[in-house]
Amino acid sequence: MTIYFKIILTVLLLTGSFFSCEKDSFVDEDGLLITFRSECFVSNFELLGADFVTVRAAPAVIDTVAQTIDVSVLFGTDLKNVYPQFTLATDCKLDPKITGKMDLSNLADSKIFTVVSGNRLVRKPYKLIIKYQ
Amino acid sequence: MLYRNFNFFFLVWVLLTSLTACQEEEYILPEPISQLTNDCLKRTIGPSIASLPIEFAYAMAIPKSQGKLVSAQVEASIPGGTGTYLEHRSYYTNSGGVDIPVTIGSPSTVVDAGKSSKVTFTVDTNAATLRYYYIVPDEAKGQTVSFTFSVNSSDGKTASYKMGPYNISKMSIKKNLTVSNGTNAFISIEDMAIYNATSAAAIPDKVDLVYLYRASPTSFTHGLVSPGADASFLPGVTLPSGLKKSTKLRKVFGLQDRNLANLQFGIYVDDIDLTSVDMTDMPNYAIGLRAEAGVWVETADKKYRAYIYINSVNATGSAVISMLRYTL
Repeated sequence: MTIYFKIILTVLLLTGSFFSCEKDSFVDEDGLLITFRSECFVSNFELLGADFVTVRAAPAVIDTVAQTIDVSVLFGTDLKNVYPQFTLATDCKLDPKITGKMDLSNLADSKIFTVVSGNRLVRKPYKLIIKYQ
Repeated sequence: MLYRNFNFFFLVWVLLTSLTACQEEEYILPEPISQLTNDCLKRTIGPSIASLPIEFAYAMAIPKSQGKLVSAQVEASIPGGTGTYLEHRSYYTNSGGVDIPVTIGSPSTVVDAGKSSKVTFTVDTNAATLRYYYIVPDEAKGQTVSFTFSVNSSDGKTASYKMGPYNISKMSIKKNLTVSNGTNAFISIEDMAIYNATSAAAIPDKVDLVYLYRASPTSFTHGLVSPGADASFLPGVTLPSGLKKSTKLRKVFGLQDRNLANLQFGIYVDDIDLTSVDMTDMPNYAIGLRAEAGVWVETADKKYRAYIYINSVNATGSAVISMLRYTL
């Protein structure tokens, strides 16, 4: 009986040490949790001016199939100093990250923002198309 | 045996500890004040700005058996501006929260080349709280100012209380300037004044902004636009000759400075805000302004920065603005 107990204990200890040494791979390079979600889309978009008040003339039109965001801004909007805000599907993240004000004044060259799914396997580039009212 | 002795001593120790722990601390009656004494507090919060008052409440008392109050005075390290005075009325707050004045002497006199304000008591009293209003003079900008409050009693004693030093802001303030579309529309940050087209033409190097109102497009409404801005932001405006400065502007919303907003709200713009605001790549126009909004301003020569607050707007094409200006 004692010998069986010792064997079981040894196996448990070995199993425990094996799992404890396993590399933690549930967090991505930004320290964000990698989940099992594959949803990958933009659900809402906002554009704020330097005074943190919206500069949109109308709600942004988000096409999740064509992967475009069309937004028209008010006359006189200073697009060199704006703060874009994306609302994404659960667990998604955005690339490039928005860390502060952005210069989106080059209307001829639409900016691309890539949405990355929660499982980090799906990447969808969205084209941000801005035009004046 | 050893174990039993240990138990006994442990029990005695616990009993002694609990006995000490339960000992009542004897209350000691505070010593009554037996001499002339005083205290002071600063009632004004926010930055100390030239032309605005700093208010203090100076309290003084002497036991009745010792005598009565004879005089009270304040000495400032920098003479106060016009309007500086020590109240000749003592205030108490009634049950409704209203400050009720009681006259204790004649209005204060200014002595020592404007440095001191003095009130001589004309009533027989042994306690009073006097307000002191120090108007920050222009020459104090960027310096520190301190105050010495003192009181004399009939028994020949003097008590004094030092306050400060307090930093005086480098900002200048101008409140409630009315601008109107097409007439008094030209704003000078240097002069902190509004001009019409004729006056502006005489001082083109001093005009930093033009106020205009346009109902269309609907996002335009009230605007502050520098003369050097694109013509699309100055629709229908014929600038007086020589106006060409390109002033940087940054719109702000929700920054209702208490001084500019005529003592509403509880926000203050201070020197550090004007020196640290990032004006890089800011445009030379600000349109779509509304009441309680504001703009940070940096003049073309980078000599001044200012914060212009919109007190009120009128849809007929006028607005009331106030400004704080900082010399860089």
